[in-house]
Amino acid sequence: MKERVRFAACALMLLAGLAVRPSAAQEPRLVIGAVYVGSVNDYGYNRSFHDALTQVARDLPDVKLLEAENVPESAEAESVMEGLVQQGAKLVIPTSFGYKDAARKVAKRHRDVAFEFAGDGEPESNFGVFFGQTQRAMYPMGVAAGKLTKTNKLGFVIGIPIGYSLGNVNAFQMGAASVNPKVQTIVVVTGGWADKAKEAAAANALLDQGCDVISMHVDSPATIIRTAEERGAMSIGFQSIEARALAPKGWITGLGFNWAPFFTETAKKVIAGRFRGEAIYQGLGQMVVVAPFGDSVPADVRAAVTKSAEDVRKGFNPFTGPLKDNRGGLALPPGASVGVDQMGSMNWYVEGVVGKVR
Amino acid sequence: MTTPLLLGLLAGAILSGTSLLYATLGETIVERSGIVNLGLEGLLLVGASVGFAVAAISGNPWLGLVAAAAAGALVNLVFGWLVVTRKSNQLAGGLAMMFFGFGASALIGAPHVGAVIRGLPKWRPAWLADVSWVQTTTLFKYDVLTWIAVPVAVLVWWVLFRTRWGLGLRAVGENPNAAFASGRDPAVFQYQALCLGGVLGGLGGAHLSLSLTGTWAEYMTAGRGFIAIALVIFSKWDPLRVIVGTLVFGGAEALELQLQARGSLMSPFLLEMFPYLLTIAVLLAWGGSRRLAAPASLGRTFYGSS
Repeated sequence: MKERVRFAACALMLLAGLAVRPSAAQEPRLVIGAVYVGSVNDYGYNRSFHDALTQVARDLPDVKLLEAENVPESAEAESVMEGLVQQGAKLVIPTSFGYKDAARKVAKRHRDVAFEFAGDGEPESNFGVFFGQTQRAMYPMGVAAGKLTKTNKLGFVIGIPIGYSLGNVNAFQMGAASVNPKVQTIVVVTGGWADKAKEAAAANALLDQGCDVISMHVDSPATIIRTAEERGAMSIGFQSIEARALAPKGWITGLGFNWAPFFTETAKKVIAGRFRGEAIYQGLGQMVVVAPFGDSVPADVRAAVTKSAEDVRKGFNPFTGPLKDNRGGLALPPGASVGVDQMGSMNWYVEGVVGKVR
Repeated sequence: MTTPLLLGLLAGAILSGTSLLYATLGETIVERSGIVNLGLEGLLLVGASVGFAVAAISGNPWLGLVAAAAAGALVNLVFGWLVVTRKSNQLAGGLAMMFFGFGASALIGAPHVGAVIRGLPKWRPAWLADVSWVQTTTLFKYDVLTWIAVPVAVLVWWVLFRTRWGLGLRAVGENPNAAFASGRDPAVFQYQALCLGGVLGGLGGAHLSLSLTGTWAEYMTAGRGFIAIALVIFSKWDPLRVIVGTLVFGGAEALELQLQARGSLMSPFLLEMFPYLLTIAVLLAWGGSRRLAAPASLGRTFYGSS
């Protein structure tokens, strides 16, 4: 598989070279190089970055965008980023968590190139880190699901039970329980971020057990949303708001990323020579947005979700004690809370979630 | 409105088992002719991507299905040229074809990632549609590939064990020299077997992309080609046992997900291992004469009778 990727990377560099050279007479003011772990048409995570950067390249004059898709989280990533820099990129955006080491190495070699890494860690002068915080934003999604479910069973498919996924599930259940005390969220783990056939089987298993609203934390929500739609169930999307096209009947709403304002700001800073690496984490209303509602969602549900999203945007933190975990223990004592920086180490399910962490 | 565990298992087993069944039947025919095709994973991927691409371009899932079958046959004919005509090593050739399949399917599928296709239509007989325990599951609401899966397996068995052509094919797999001496050209039989196996493998891959998920993603087979190769051994190269084998493996995957959906308090990590633990357990329990069941010349190159 590496051969293929290397071939793709070479082809990309060649194409990029061909694309940039003829216009050398009129140098672009900024070349942005983006590295994606998947395809930009995934109705999910990668598409959210592609859409945002395309918009930046369109809105700002003389900004060019170079994109490398399907780049694995290995040493290949380093050579692809190096290639982007050779093609003149002055702002490189490694969009996958696993590019961390490769990105830092390339950034050390090219201090004149700005990096914005979608992940965590310490920022450096030419290396910024950023991410959208989805966990609290899942609370209003739960409100929507809790109001619309008839069976009081919500299904949630997750790839791998990392802290961020558990946070999404927990906020979802808490939001649902805030409007519907009888509601449960049933979790099914598939064991990978992109095993499509298993995602379909997982969604089917949840629907077999009477869940009538399905949400997910996997790379691309497409398969799960399609499966729910086919069986007449409702769905709440994740990663990209465009996924609503897959479920004309059952789409309720969903969370997506909106990186465009952040990237526009960053690109302007790089052009002006004012870039400094920072750690920037933004939640609902900034990097994270609520998708449009499906046509069948009634007005009172829309109002409740909008109100709840507004609360989160103003700083409401659902991860505030006292909170019980789903084994009857006290997960969070009164007064304690989980901040966005601790979300990655969450290791419990809140009361009302049906599932086991490990 | 919850589904009893057994029904859920059966429904899940049939859904995940369908593509496995076609892939395993295809490999069974090929191995009966004395050829091991380790490239099955790549073959499935080519079937899945070609089927999806053609369905996305033409808007017609049936065309996708036909194209997937043709592409599968083509891939296996290339493999045949390598190992039958050029007489190269089957294991190395198979692995090469697997990597070829990874690359080719990624290339073919890339422009269509995220395309919204009309999947294969599914039917449920009217008299079953009103049964309450059927309604809560996917049972009996299948596309054509699932409906004809068992008949196809029986047909393959009949062709292999009840026709002259099948006899010739098995003779080639057991002893190509004897088959050659009796006037049968092993190469012809092996090409025919590869062609049939390619059609079945292509259909198996297409079932994943055109019906089960309705999406294409790189490496979406996630190891199912290798499971199918194991299932051939598990089923002792017998198409009728292949039905049982795919249901057992599909059922094990279904069990993992159904147990979670029912709120079982088993560790999800333990459940994930379950299909593979079960495969090992059944292989042990059903052990014994597997070496005798294998075609005697499996994996050996026929250099001509001299």
